[in-house]
Amino acid sequence: MTQSRHAQSSGGPVTRRQVLKGMAGVAAAAAVPVGRARAAAPAVRSGTITLQYMTANLTEKQYEPVWKEMIAKFEAQNPTVKVEPILVARKDHWTKFVTAAKAGQAPDVVAVDIATAAYNGYLRPLDDLWSAEPASYRQAWSADVLSAASWQGKLYGLPSWGGIYGEIYNTEMVKRAGLDLSKPPVNWKEYLEWSKRLTKEGQQWALAILGGKTDSTTRMLLMWIWSNGGEAFNADMTQATFASNPKTLEAVEFYLGLDTVHKVVAPGAVNINYLEQTTLFAQEKIATMRNAYWGVAKVVGDNPAIKGKIAVAFPPMNGEKKVTMTTMAADSISKDCKHVEAAWKFAKFVNDKEWGVKRALVSNWMPMRTDLTTDPEVKKDPMLVQFLEYGKVARAYPLPHPMWADIAANDIVAATQSALLKQVPIKEAFAKLDADLAKKFKEL
Amino acid sequence: MAVPTTAGGSDSALPPAGRRAGWASRGLRRERWLGYLFVAPMLLFLLGIIFFPLGHAVVTSLYREAGVTIRFVGLRNYTRLLDDQAFWNSLRVSLVFTGLSVALHLVVALPVALFLNQLRRGRTTLRLAFLTPWMVTPVIGAIAWVWLLDPHFGVVNYLLTSAGLIGANKVWLGEPMLALGSIIAVDVWRGFPFVMLIVLAGLQTVPKEQYEAASIDGAGPIQRFVFITLPHLRYLLIVATTLDVINTVRTFDIVAVMTRGGPVNATEVLPVLIFNTAFQGNRFGPAAAVGVVLLLLLLIFSTLYILLLQSERAGEAAR
Repeated sequence: MTQSRHAQSSGGPVTRRQVLKGMAGVAAAAAVPVGRARAAAPAVRSGTITLQYMTANLTEKQYEPVWKEMIAKFEAQNPTVKVEPILVARKDHWTKFVTAAKAGQAPDVVAVDIATAAYNGYLRPLDDLWSAEPASYRQAWSADVLSAASWQGKLYGLPSWGGIYGEIYNTEMVKRAGLDLSKPPVNWKEYLEWSKRLTKEGQQWALAILGGKTDSTTRMLLMWIWSNGGEAFNADMTQATFASNPKTLEAVEFYLGLDTVHKVVAPGAVNINYLEQTTLFAQEKIATMRNAYWGVAKVVGDNPAIKGKIAVAFPPMNGEKKVTMTTMAADSISKDCKHVEAAWKFAKFVNDKEWGVKRALVSNWMPMRTDLTTDPEVKKDPMLVQFLEYGKVARAYPLPHPMWADIAANDIVAATQSALLKQVPIKEAFAKLDADLAKKFKEL
Repeated sequence: MAVPTTAGGSDSALPPAGRRAGWASRGLRRERWLGYLFVAPMLLFLLGIIFFPLGHAVVTSLYREAGVTIRFVGLRNYTRLLDDQAFWNSLRVSLVFTGLSVALHLVVALPVALFLNQLRRGRTTLRLAFLTPWMVTPVIGAIAWVWLLDPHFGVVNYLLTSAGLIGANKVWLGEPMLALGSIIAVDVWRGFPFVMLIVLAGLQTVPKEQYEAASIDGAGPIQRFVFITLPHLRYLLIVATTLDVINTVRTFDIVAVMTRGGPVNATEVLPVLIFNTAFQGNRFGPAAAVGVVLLLLLLIFSTLYILLLQSERAGEAAR
């Protein structure tokens, strides 16, 4: 019997109560050092605050040296502030942010889709901090750029960098096809001719259509629509017009037809996104890619041998008005931020001229400050200057809609995939998209 | 006669019978409370990590969010599911994915287990080798498969074209049927070792004498398998299949990494639909409603599993 064994071993009867008391004592003794350690932790770090910093591109190789240097310098100048970078792959960036925001733990300084995040209450308006800055500082950003970082009249981000899109060519592949890059295609007809000559069935293709399940699919589609003078939405973004606007539908049919009709597109469009597109270009499987300047840094990183074989031209148009796209990333402060002053200081530091120039030259992120476009260092890079020139006729992306993250990465992608896979005719797929979005907009 | 006690003391120190009974009952009560005390930390832990989130999900499913506005909508998120094409598509995909995956787990696991059971040498090494897919983190395995199946640079296309089995490179994850087939194939690769392990354990309990007797009676390998092996494995196969269904219907990682539910929602199983609705669509109420439906589905299979266990125990007791 248990009882007698206890009695034998200890020289007297031991009750369960005694055993429990003993266990409680051991637990209490174990808890003391833990408690001490916890109590000691704030003391060790007293006076130091930690800011979490998260943007979609911190994991990308071409930006790493810049942000590492930037954080080190900020911490050296502000010894009481530690900056903790949150490294998340681009495709998981939004999910990670929403999860953290829902838990009331959003990183302090973030770069996210402003309309969707502000609408959902994930961001803190910056107007009080912004208006406290001197006018000379505020003039560094244009009104257009600031409006793209605002939602319902409130400023939610400090515009940091962007990506202006151009048509990027592999000069060697173009030369091998007997084409002359000094006269790049300027309209759709010429582009199609070039595409046919740049395609060798089963070996290389002119381009890749982006049809994967991310918003880069939507970016490409919108650019083709705009290049034909079409619109995907009405002016106040209460109605989608993919199928009802003839110019829009014509553009969609031409763009997707490059794959479904003309076969000048790398196979597997519905799986291709930014990463796959740049990999195909770096491996010389496609001769052109519609991309921003950062795409050039990415392909050179993937295949250094391609350096010197890249040229850029304005995307071919079919409409009267020249237009391309610029994406914009802005540094925002999350609603959960406990150290707003320090976060604002860091957001301003990130947007100092020094880092704007380094981001442009090292990482190929376009500067958003107007005073950087004329910087002598920036002007030394001819391709950068060329992209900045295109930026003068670029329309801002993402579109200002509170459901944009969902619409761009799901609804428009589903219609595009359905059309690419020929499940239904293009017009039918996009008419359904218009109807689905009408239903969705009603829910707002 | 000694009365079992929980406290110390010898027989000679026991109180008279009436008092003794009361004392013993108090002791039992105290013992019961001590029992509760011991399990309390684990109960609190389970409450925190299972029941609280579960309750929270059910509550969330009764609300609808529009930006910072949250309003109570009762069961409307559930009634909307009935009209939601995405939900029905997802349910269909989940059933096809689960049905085919579980069936194929069994089809692959059974012969592999039989093969391993017959081995005299290298059984442990081979068992480990077959278990490897199950030991690899599903996300890592899925990423590796994405590259293996890549239409331009993938090894699978290279091998199949080299062997003359396909004429041109296939876009494995780019066409609805191929994509569904591919994720099922990867799930079979990852999931069959679990079933194999259970079957192998069962095979090792089959008495060798029965095989010897059957051989003497002239039974061939197929007859021995049908009349001896299968009846012995019947219960284990049912248990393994039920557990496998519960595991497979919850699959998220492989699909999320390989296709994200695409192309055109052809591989959007219920857990991926929940993820897409909540985190991309910012619609946590409807996503929670799908989650509750998935939970009910799992509860059906879990109940089935418990009933099977009980009936087997009852059968054993009767024997």
